[in-house]
Amino acid sequence: MTAATRTALQIRIEAFTFHGDDTPVLRDAALSVTPGSLTAVLGGSGSGKSTLGKLLAGWLRAGHAGQFRGSLELGGTVLEFRGVPEDPRINPAEWSRRVAFVPQDAAAMLSSVRATVAEELAFGLENRATAREDMLRAVERTAARTGLSHLLDRDPATLSGGELRRLAVGCAVIAEPDVLILDEPLASLDAAGAAQVEALVRSLCGAGTGVVLLSQAADRLAGEATHWTVLDAQTAHDGRTVTAAGTVTAAGTPAQLAGSAELERAGVIGIGGPGGIVPSVLGSGVLGSGGSGGAAGARLPGPVPAAAPGPGPASLELRGVGFGYAGDPRRHGTGAQDRVLRDVDFAVRPGEIIAVTGPNGAGKSTLLRHFNGLLRPSAGDVLVCGRSIAGVPVGKVAASVGLLFQHPRDQLFERTVLREAAFGLRQLSGKAPAEGKARAALAAVGLSGTEAAHPAELSASRQRLLALATVLAREPAVLALDEPTVGLDRHGLEALQGAVDRAAARGAAVVMVTHDLDYARRNAHRVLELSGGSLREI
Amino acid sequence: MTPRLHPFTTLTLAVCAAVVTTAAAYWPLSVAVALAAVILAARHGIAGRVLTAGAVILTPLCLSLLVLHGLFFPEGQTVLAQWGPARVTAEGLGFALELGTRTTACVLVFLLFSFTVSVPDLVSALAGRRIPPQFGFVLASTLTLLPAVAGRLDRIRQAQETRGMVVGRGLLSRLGTLRLQMVPLVLALIDDAGSRAQALDARGFGSPGPRTSYREVADPPAQRLFRAAALVFAAAAVAGRIVASWPTGAAS
Repeated sequence: MTAATRTALQIRIEAFTFHGDDTPVLRDAALSVTPGSLTAVLGGSGSGKSTLGKLLAGWLRAGHAGQFRGSLELGGTVLEFRGVPEDPRINPAEWSRRVAFVPQDAAAMLSSVRATVAEELAFGLENRATAREDMLRAVERTAARTGLSHLLDRDPATLSGGELRRLAVGCAVIAEPDVLILDEPLASLDAAGAAQVEALVRSLCGAGTGVVLLSQAADRLAGEATHWTVLDAQTAHDGRTVTAAGTVTAAGTPAQLAGSAELERAGVIGIGGPGGIVPSVLGSGVLGSGGSGGAAGARLPGPVPAAAPGPGPASLELRGVGFGYAGDPRRHGTGAQDRVLRDVDFAVRPGEIIAVTGPNGAGKSTLLRHFNGLLRPSAGDVLVCGRSIAGVPVGKVAASVGLLFQHPRDQLFERTVLREAAFGLRQLSGKAPAEGKARAALAAVGLSGTEAAHPAELSASRQRLLALATVLAREPAVLALDEPTVGLDRHGLEALQGAVDRAAARGAAVVMVTHDLDYARRNAHRVLELSGGSLREI
Repeated sequence: MTPRLHPFTTLTLAVCAAVVTTAAAYWPLSVAVALAAVILAARHGIAGRVLTAGAVILTPLCLSLLVLHGLFFPEGQTVLAQWGPARVTAEGLGFALELGTRTTACVLVFLLFSFTVSVPDLVSALAGRRIPPQFGFVLASTLTLLPAVAGRLDRIRQAQETRGMVVGRGLLSRLGTLRLQMVPLVLALIDDAGSRAQALDARGFGSPGPRTSYREVADPPAQRLFRAAALVFAAAAVAGRIVASWPTGAAS
């Protein structure tokens, strides 16, 4: 790493098209990475960020995964691709020694057959026949760097989101690559987890690794980058059809691009996190160290959402609810006496929006799962629309309670987007209105036109919106949303906000769980914190 | 706590128990081996799992043995009951009992092994014997697949229940909802496999060439000696069986 200005990795994309697709997902894009630098690629959902990252890292290989026209340069060696069979072939194992990639879903990085964190870290070294003494040293060194030293004997399946992300980064950097590409490394992490990953990125850059950050938020970490590249899905008309492909619409320093029209068009979220989705406020505050800056919620100017609800019977009420995961050995550190929820009392009235915040692992998702009976309290009672749901099957409670899961992949199971949104609607509203309601819900979240697509083909942001549509279509009296903002770009956030507002306006009680306190304060009538198993207003 | 057994030692024990039981063809021995397996399972706290899995495999098997040999056994002389062509003979029942207990013993022994073996130890031990790592991975995945499938199935069911699917208590209702979960399950597993394959490739899993192992599994000389002795004993049992049945076979 002597020549700090030398380019470590460079890509020039004329076009990249997946096999089976007619139109490219990326075109006219270029990126170069220098050792020790932090480069941010910013763009909204579906802009092709992940595709770019996987191309750079050899996870998507020319000829193998799709047709690539352009070039890749690594350490002075240039590979030219013309989209023909004679194109050079990349060996992913060799390439990843120099260029490592951590996917958005950190769990997908793991081998899943290793019993401990230490063995998972060593997996890549084992495959390269590294001597055992060297492996022991490398594991120790990497664990210290990623803050995993105290977790080396843990089963990877029991790690928290932040720990899992650091393990995935550890697996990527144990072979000391020149370049590390991180896809949405802060998504779904709480403040403490995000701070740990940010510190890790800084130390890697300091040690000479060129880091590429793929993100749909111009957050604090992106603010530290020396260079920003804005990717946006640009539509093109070629006579009959309209196609969209990710392309670079702007590139420069953060100071040059902050508040630019290109950033806004791309749907990039401002520095305040999902709460601060108004890009015009990005401006001067973008490089500040604080999180909130001056960014206001979508409802300028005030932080107050729709009118507070009037008096009336509660749509949802929890009376002295207690719960623990006793007896589940996979949940680390929970014993019979270690309750996730203790004596929780809480009520939501029609039209009211309540946010529940708290750190990762506080039991927020556990709380939501009590609303429709997926989990049953070990003490106390849950009442929906004034009636106890004890003994009522989840499928029956579902008529009144809609639950958006934390991971859209857990919510989506159908073959097409329309079937997904319409699942279960027939029993609820009859055959004829079911499809109409499904289409209306899809339109409400901006997914019109995707009815025939397979849910797995949608971008992460659109998968979350589809999951939201499946909940909205049922028009439940209680809307329970688990981390609804994670993975959404600005356009997605606007769709979410509109949907929540409309639901509250028609009288639904909304409870959303989020680790983003800023967002909670701007968009809810009341904010509660779940900590130590109890709820308190903040 | 007894010293930890090398996975090859427990595997050898399971194989030898199965071979000796089969070679002996003596139902009291089969019953004794099956009972020993259950007692060992109970001491490991997994008797419930072993017996449940055993019941799923063995109930249809033993029933079919009973029907096949209990009712239709041409060599049977002592007829206990007869309905048309179907004859219940003492010899037929004896044969069914012999075969049923033998199979039960083998199945329980192997279930005990697969539920008690430390998969990471086994994979590491296999890798140490220059067995292709892909084999070890497939083996480990097969043993970890069941919990993964169960977890995925549970999440799909929760998603469907959340959208109004009512799961009744009856078997028919459960089977009906299981049918709705099969296609999503297979698609989700394929999707998982696809994304994991890219990561495995990048981490050098597909590369040819030698491997090393981070995990070290102790293999004391005493256990190696014991394994050799157990294999010799099993081979002797087979040889003894062949020698013992040779003249009988020729005479009949």
